Amino acid sequence: MNARLRWLLILGAVAIALLILVPLFGSQRPSVSGPAGMVGQTAPVFTLHDDRGNPVSLAQYRGKVVVMNLWASWCPPCRAEMPDLQTVAREYARDGVVVVGVNQGESAERAAAFAHSLDIAFPIWIDDGQQYGRTYAALGLPTTIVIDRRGVVERGFDGPLTIEQMRSTLAQVVRAT
Amino acid sequence: MSRAAVLTALVVLGVVVEIVVPDRAIYHAGWYNVAIAALAVWAIVSTRRAPLIAFGVGAIAFACIASGLLGPDTRTVVGAPETSVRVDEAGGTLAFPAAQADPTVLLQRGASAQPIGARRYTATALLRSVPRTVVAVDVSDARGAHLTITQPTGSAFLSPVLLMQNTQTIAGLDLPFDMFAVPAAHRIVKAVLFSAAQAASVPALAAAHSPVVLFDLEDDTGASIPRGIGVAPDGRSITLVGLRLRPRVLEYPAVEVTSIPDLAVVGAGLLAIFIGVLLTRRRVAR
Repeated sequence: MNARLRWLLILGAVAIALLILVPLFGSQRPSVSGPAGMVGQTAPVFTLHDDRGNPVSLAQYRGKVVVMNLWASWCPPCRAEMPDLQTVAREYARDGVVVVGVNQGESAERAAAFAHSLDIAFPIWIDDGQQYGRTYAALGLPTTIVIDRRGVVERGFDGPLTIEQMRSTLAQVVRAT
Repeated sequence: MSRAAVLTALVVLGVVVEIVVPDRAIYHAGWYNVAIAALAVWAIVSTRRAPLIAFGVGAIAFACIASGLLGPDTRTVVGAPETSVRVDEAGGTLAFPAAQADPTVLLQRGASAQPIGARRYTATALLRSVPRTVVAVDVSDARGAHLTITQPTGSAFLSPVLLMQNTQTIAGLDLPFDMFAVPAAHRIVKAVLFSAAQAASVPALAAAHSPVVLFDLEDDTGASIPRGIGVAPDGRSITLVGLRLRPRVLEYPAVEVTSIPDLAVVGAGLLAIFIGVLLTRRRVAR
């Protein structure tokens, strides 16, 4: 066997070993579960109805930063978080931030009554098929997704947020886009 | 035919069988892989005057043994509708579709999305769509207002589709079941599925002539509720203690993932053998 062929064989063997070993070991990256696993992906969009029966979609907010809060009336942390969402919705409106509350699985009447009882002014959408909850891999309620102006998921949070966490997150996202 | 040719053909045959007929326990057995290795060494020694053939045989045997000893066991990936599940063996994500007519799972890798049908090969895995029976449940209160369903221990917290991955035996019948919660009503519900054939074998259910779902309600401390047990045929509602439950029995795909020898390595090995055979023939012709 001449020297050139021997080297070719060695290089080929190394390449083949890498081809086998990289898929076996290289792809064992830790996968992020829950809504944080959606970060970097284009936000899935579905057409829903708001609590007054009007058709609504995330697509109408392209160009704005969207804070999408998944909630239900039976969820005490959701109730506790709503006034803070209302506050940041007002504070960041000038920066092109929109807060949307997406009710999971309940009737429009129940969702509207709940929002009215808390004087919520931001849009309330009705997701009675719980599509957003599944697609954004919600592990519980509330779940909050922050979508940037390009329609890409920037942050995903499982559980309630403090107002400081909301402000800090929005400040970063608004500054970055 | 020379001994070298027979040995080479046996190694090639072994890998082809592993690719075409995957998911056999024998491929993961130690003795089988030792046998493949021994066969390959013998073939390499016999073809030492044709280094390309020897190289090809070695590559193929290596891929075969790596898959047999290091490849994961066959598993079934069960996903809730409209959820995604990362599958490292396939180098991508399985996107489970909405529960609709003829749902197809997609394998997403980067920007590409390929449907998983009867067989979809990736570099190191074979993916096969296998149908399963699941139950979609609608729940509403006594006034007909829709209520949230959650599955705290299911594959998707907010899915109203029960994947029925557990089994229990009732009256000698092995029955799939699942659990879900209705937090607004403080109820935990167990749903047990009888197929149409199983329902037909139970006198109390035979009149349904369809699959039947048995619902068993508990409060959120796990205590049974009087009159909280009832059955609903597929597509029909039942009201139990103020909750109206309507099951729909659906066929929904899961994906079976089977590891196979690395196709790129096997391809490279076969190419090397092919070129080696051509070179050997030319040398003999001279």
